Amino acid sequence: MADISVGLNCPACGGAVSVVEGESTLLCPYCDSTLFIEGDQGVTTIAFRNKVNREGAMKASRLWWSRGWKARDLKRVGRTIEVYPIYLPFWRAMTRVAGWICGYEIRRHTDSKGRVHEQKVPKEVMVLNDYRFSEIATDPGDLGIRSLRNFSGETSFADFDMIPTFEATTSRDDAVARAKSDAQSRARSSAKVSRVTMERLHVLPRRLSMVYYPVWVVRYTYRDRMYMTTVDGVTGQVLSGRAPGDPLFQSLAITAGTSVGGLAAAVGIIMSSVAAELMIVGLLAGGIILYITYRFFRHGSEIVEGEFKNKPASVSQTIKELQSAARTLQEAYR
Amino acid sequence: MRIVQVKCPSCNSPIYSKQRDQLFYCDKCNVLHTRNGGAEKLDFEIAEFSGSSSGERVFVPFWRLYCSFIIRSKSVEGGHVFRLMSWMKDEDGSGTLFIHIPAADFDPSTFKRLAIDYTVSSPKYRSRLDFGGVRRMPAMMSREEAVELADFVVVTMEAEKPGVLQRLDYSLTVNGSKVVYLPFVMGQSGLTPAL
Ligand SMILES: [Zn+2]
Ligand SMILES: [Zn+2]
Repeated sequence: MADISVGLNCPACGGAVSVVEGESTLLCPYCDSTLFIEGDQGVTTIAFRNKVNREGAMKASRLWWSRGWKARDLKRVGRTIEVYPIYLPFWRAMTRVAGWICGYEIRRHTDSKGRVHEQKVPKEVMVLNDYRFSEIATDPGDLGIRSLRNFSGETSFADFDMIPTFEATTSRDDAVARAKSDAQSRARSSAKVSRVTMERLHVLPRRLSMVYYPVWVVRYTYRDRMYMTTVDGVTGQVLSGRAPGDPLFQSLAITAGTSVGGLAAAVGIIMSSVAAELMIVGLLAGGIILYITYRFFRHGSEIVEGEFKNKPASVSQTIKELQSAARTLQEAYR
Repeated sequence: MRIVQVKCPSCNSPIYSKQRDQLFYCDKCNVLHTRNGGAEKLDFEIAEFSGSSSGERVFVPFWRLYCSFIIRSKSVEGGHVFRLMSWMKDEDGSGTLFIHIPAADFDPSTFKRLAIDYTVSSPKYRSRLDFGGVRRMPAMMSREEAVELADFVVVTMEAEKPGVLQRLDYSLTVNGSKVVYLPFVMGQSGLTPAL
């Protein structure tokens, strides 16, 4: 993470020195003095330089309009009404996890006579890794931004006078606690031990910083309704947004969803001459598919990207739900 | 955020260095200190190079932790010998040992190898009074982190014995610490111990 620095001066010779984020010691390149940073509880504060202008933010936003299943006339009908930059505060942490997870997994295999055998396979897995974590340090409201994606760029407080800054409102201790639990659960899942008999994980917070990150907010209207996008002030990429969905695509998808649901139910009824439970499974499958399709398209008039608190079902989430419903049914049938 | 010049807590000389290090060494009065809230002097030892070692010499910092342990129970699939046994004094499963934690910035596998090697067999050396112009590898790990990792080293030693470790119920207490600089030679195949 040596990609970030802040300009400061050496107290011994006055030369300009740069501080690597989260590090407590540094060296003066002019006089070789060892320097120590006495920060606020070891938290380094940095700000990224804004690299995007008004036109760039609008362009990124309009480009986003034309991608995916958004209303096809959005580019023609959509009207940008407001474009402004803000600084959002984020906590950023680096956490090391060292330890062991021991246990076993059960492997099932079927022999030539069709008998199922269970085998207990013992496992011992070492975990030794660094995990990065970021989280917004204020209430993001309806911006759809909760964590940082980009971690590199020029840092400077030079834009602080021009760009309104959101105050950090969440506590350092809470951020550290969440960074620790995030690292721990990621370490745990990386070990892939399904039945745990012993877990000894050590979670060492290594670096913590407060990062002020520039974000452009673009508000626009489409057929009298308000929508928005946010654009990364460093990379120029769209971070989050809400947009009207495409009505044609929606009606096609609803038709497809309904027919698949109906088909599953119909197959169930036909097969019921073979076995009564098949009919129930078929009806159940049809019902679930219809419900998920309905749930998705009830909000489907809007396409949403980003980390929103109350996010309507997204396409990928709906597909995942359909898959898990299929799995549950498969297991029930077995 | 405020930047201060690091000075020796004993003689107040500024510490000059070409490399970033969490441990500050004053060559005027031979005092090692670290900063954790305030300046704190550290107990340390420097091990003598063996006469035959040739190549680029370097001192690697280790946290040597004097620990006591009590083993309550343990289970292993397909094996039973365990390493802590060799430090056990009593039948009740308690004993003491020195755990060596490499304090330099090593990749996980080197870190693990050095920690296990020097903990399994404690290094024997004649100590010397100064570094004699030999480069020191910077320390990147605080004592607090080393104490956390002591447990990791113990479990790693046990897990690396034959068999698959399933459970180890024990407790570990760190009773004292010292910084130990051990001699190494940088070769083409990496670091070689030069004790
Ligand atoms: Zn200087
Ligand atoms: Zn001194």
